[in-house]
Parts: sequence; C-alpha cells; structure tokens
Amino acid sequence: MSDWRADGIEVAVGGFRLGPLDLALEAGRAVAVVGPSGAGKTTLLRALAGFLPIERGRLWRDGVDLTRAPPEARGLGYVPQGLGLFPHRTVFHNVRYPLEIAGTPDPDPAAEALLDRFRLRPLADRRPAALSGGEQQRVALARALAADPELIVWDEPGQALDVEARHDLGGVLADLRAVDRVPIVVVTHDPALAFSVADEFVVLDRGRLLLRADAASLLRHPPTAFVARFAGYENVLDRPAVDRAGDGPFARWLRGRAGPEGVAFRALPVPAPEAPRGAWDGVVRAARPDPDGIRLEIAADDLMLAARLPRAWSAPLPAAGSRVRFDVPSDGVRPLDGAAAP
Amino acid sequence: MTGGPRTDGRPARGIAGRLWLGLGAAASASLLLLFLLPIAALLTYAPPSRLLAAAMSAPVQQSIALTLYAAALAVLASALLAVPLGYLLARHRFRGRGVVESIVTLPVVVPHLLVGLGLFFLLAVPSTPLHAAAAALGIPIYDSIAGVVLVMVVVSAPYTVVASQLAFQAVDGRVVEAARSLGAGPATAFLTVTLPIAGRGIVAGLLLTWARAVSEIGGLLILAAYVFPGGLYSGPVANPISVYVYELFQNGNLADAAAVSSVFLLIAFAIFLGVRLAERTARLPWRSGELLP
Repeated sequence: MSDWRADGIEVAVGGFRLGPLDLALEAGRAVAVVGPSGAGKTTLLRALAGFLPIERGRLWRDGVDLTRAPPEARGLGYVPQGLGLFPHRTVFHNVRYPLEIAGTPDPDPAAEALLDRFRLRPLADRRPAALSGGEQQRVALARALAADPELIVWDEPGQALDVEARHDLGGVLADLRAVDRVPIVVVTHDPALAFSVADEFVVLDRGRLLLRADAASLLRHPPTAFVARFAGYENVLDRPAVDRAGDGPFARWLRGRAGPEGVAFRALPVPAPEAPRGAWDGVVRAARPDPDGIRLEIAADDLMLAARLPRAWSAPLPAAGSRVRFDVPSDGVRPLDGAAAP
Repeated sequence: MTGGPRTDGRPARGIAGRLWLGLGAAASASLLLLFLLPIAALLTYAPPSRLLAAAMSAPVQQSIALTLYAAALAVLASALLAVPLGYLLARHRFRGRGVVESIVTLPVVVPHLLVGLGLFFLLAVPSTPLHAAAAALGIPIYDSIAGVVLVMVVVSAPYTVVASQLAFQAVDGRVVEAARSLGAGPATAFLTVTLPIAGRGIVAGLLLTWARAVSEIGGLLILAAYVFPGGLYSGPVANPISVYVYELFQNGNLADAAAVSSVFLLIAFAIFLGVRLAERTARLPWRSGELLP
C-alpha cells in the first residue's frame, strides 16, 4: 500500500479558500477530518479525489505527483456524501462496475467474493433504493474496494444510520485498515465513529488547519470550543460565556483558568447531596438518568454546568432547587488557547 | 356512517369539504370528456367499411408513410441536437443561459404558421443566401422532405431539450463523481452512468417530440404542403397526413376526412403505446446501465 503526502495544498471554491494544508498518510492508517460546518472538510476530500483543482502545493502518492491527475487516475476510492451508488444497477452490478471499467477479463468471481465478504450475496439482485442504510454503506465499500484503491476517502460515513448499522460500520472500517491495509480519510461529525477508527485527527476551521493530533492529545488539549465538544467535554464555555458569567466566586475562579477561547471540563463529580462536601455551591436545575449514570444540570453563579452523581446512586433523583456542593478537579480544567497543543 | 371511528385512514369531511370535492370532480370530468368526446366523434363518424377503404388506399398510405418517416427523422435530429443542448443547460452555468432557455421555448409560443413563414423567408425565397447555399448543396427546401423535417424539428425539438434538461438535472452529480473515482473517464462515466439514469426522461421527451411532429400542420401548410421526391425521400408526391386531411375537409369530403384521420389516429396511438410498453418492460441497455461488454 501507498504513502500519500499533501504539501501545502490550497483550494478555492467560489469565495471560499482552503489551505495551505499539509497531510501525511501511511498504509493502514486512518485520519478523521473534523471541524464545524463550513470548515472545508468536503472541499478537502473533493480536492484529494480530483474534483476540485489544487491551486497551489502538491499531492504525492509514493513520490508520484498527482496534483493535476484526473480523478480516474488517482487510485483513490472516493465515497461521496449519500454514497453515490448507481440507482440503475443492481448491487452485483454496482460492485462489478470498477472491474468492468478496468477491463478485468473475468470480473464475476472478484465481484462475488466482495459480495460474500460484505454479506451482500442475498441482496445481489436488488437495486440500491431497496436496501437499508447499513446495506447501502456495505455496497459502497465493496464497490470502492473492487477498484483496488490505494486510499479510501469517505465523506460522512454513518450518516443517517441506526445504532446497529453504525456499530457494524465501525467494525467494517477497522477491518479495512487491518486486513486491506488501505489508508482511510473520513470526514465525520460523529465523535464515536471518529474515535473508534482514527489514528490521527485533522481539525479544520474556516478553511485553515487548526490542529493535527492523535486521539490522546486531542482529548487532553482541545484548542477550541468545537474540539472540546467533539472530544466529549460536557462543560464547554467559550470566551463570551466566560465573560458573561458574572462576578461570583466560582465564575471568578473559572475565569482565572480560561484561555483566550474559553475553558472546558468534564461533567463535575457531585457527591451524594445528603453528605455535601466541596468548595463550591450549586443549585440543581434538572436530573436525568443516562447511559453513564445520573446527569445533573446545576447552576453556579450565572453558569449552567453539567455534573454527575456517583454511578452507584440509587436513591430518588435530587429535586430541582435542591442545593449541592462540588469540587472541580483542577487538573481536569482545560484552557482553550485556540492554537495547536505542542 | 353513524359515530364510531373511521378506519379508512382518510380525514373526516364536512359539508363544505364535500361540496368542494364535488365541484373539483365535476370540473375534472368535464375536461376529460372534452378530451375524449371529439376523438370518439371522429372515430365513429365514418362507418368501419370506410375506414378500411381509407386504410387500403394508396395515397393515404403514402401520406401516412411520409409523415411517419419525416417524424422519425425529426426525432433523430432532436436526439442529436436537442439532447446535447439539454445536457449543456442542465450541467453548466454560463452567461446568457436564461436567454438560451427563452430561445428554446420560442417555437412553442410562436404560432406555427409563423414558424413556417419564417422558414419560408429564410430558406425558400430564391434571393436569400441560405437558399442559394441549400440549392448549391442540392438540398431543396420548399415542398421537399427537408422542408417537412425542418418544420417538424423547429416546432417539436424544444420538448426534447426541456425533457432532457430535467432528466440530466435529476442525475445526482455525486453518483457520476463516484464513477469517475472508480476508474471511469468522463466519456465512460457519461455513457455508463449519466445517460442510463437520464435515459427514461430523454425517451419521454423524444416521444413528445414525435407526437408533436406527426401532428404538425401550420408550418407545413406554408413550407411543405406537398413533398416531391428528392433528397432523403424517394416516394411519390404526397401530402403530410395533416395537410391531406385538411384538404379533404376543405373539399367538403367529411366522411373521408373522418376515415383517414381515424386510420392515422389508430396507427399513431399504436406506435405511442408500443414505445411506452417497450420502454417499460424491455431490458433496454439504458435501464440497467449494462452498456459495457
């Protein structure tokens, strides 16, 4: 499998500019491209796939310059948003298509092997419109692999999938890396999917590269409110929220720890209300069980904060208006400094 | 119905609702009758023996053959000229696109007699350069097969332009991009993905073009009421069928006008339904996209 490198690529679409951007992709690695809407994620994928011209910089595959190569000559499997399945062809003929195009002498066995691998054999004669979302994803992937790509570039896998199919997809993508050793680039809004497949995160913001980091450092040092939310921080206060927080003791304490872009911390551990301890005062606004225990919303000064009761909590949920005390683990407070962590 | 929940899944309807529904149904029925009754009147005016005689008459057969042949050429020309224009309008943003779209609808809104007159002044008046050019190439326009096809193309090709534009617009660009990324060059992607997906809409447009072409009379009365052999036509002198019927009617020959019209109507219907049926049931390459070996 190939190594891919993008050196300072820049792309312009209408008034939008992306880049300059560096990327490196080795065999068997997966990169998740994340960022708020309008960050340029799809633009980046379409430029890599050859559907938008790269205005400056170079794209290399194993030292071969692909910057100006047409899409069909890049050896790159692009799965667009919505998957791009051929509505007029059956599942079998979708998967067979790249083999036909390549002029493979006897395309059927290879296509059938892919159908088997992705559990599509019983659906071989159906049209894509007659498949579930999860089945369509498997067809898209089988078809992409039929072209024997050197890189798979997938825009929004997992979009509009139910919980089961989403779980399935994680396994399929992991397989792709481990078995086929094809490097993968995914654009995703789904943190669970991203953290389950990606070795590296590329965070874009308004057309610029904000951060390239592995999962661990992304989780430890989120530079912006967006990244902090993506990394699952339940309490993310951007700079305006911190400034608006009033002049209470907790707000002042927090402001002292915030970076230029704000501050983030995990859900606060709240001891059982009948044994209150902790440095700060709060009032329960809402309490609700969720898969991780019992989630509280508490008000402290003018801030609404996410908090958690101990997992083993079995008494009735605390009533709205009841008072609690809490501590903030000081090593868990992340200033958002807007720049990539060292 | 007295009380109890309704189970047919339709909303309950009050008196005003029923009144509106009744008015709507009456309006629809009137219009449908207006479509059907004239055809029924036409088909039943002449006795069946007269229809049979018309069907067996050589001039009628020649006229119908000429009309179907010219319409087929017009459809072919539309496929070659109008489908690319539809694609251009569907896939490309360019300056003057709105102007082009307006020009496409022009032949539909201009009375067809005037279309015929325009073509006459452009091509059939001996003093014009285009007439000279056509004559130099040995292509007669006036009262010739070229004249018939020209009129038919002008008045009927817009339907194929619009239908294929809509059909190409409905093809998801991402599907085409997926094909490119799977190894298809632009031409292969067009032939194996874009065209098969748009095929149905294009065929529907060509069918409309054909129907419009065979029914043309206004322009033909001016430019090619008679067709003499020459160019792509080697049959005997004949009228397009619409002109033929019109002349029977003008001469007061009502029974023959009805009989000939009926014969042509039945043939046209049969062709129309045959194409629709074939398009719906046959495993045509544009439906499965299996254009590749």
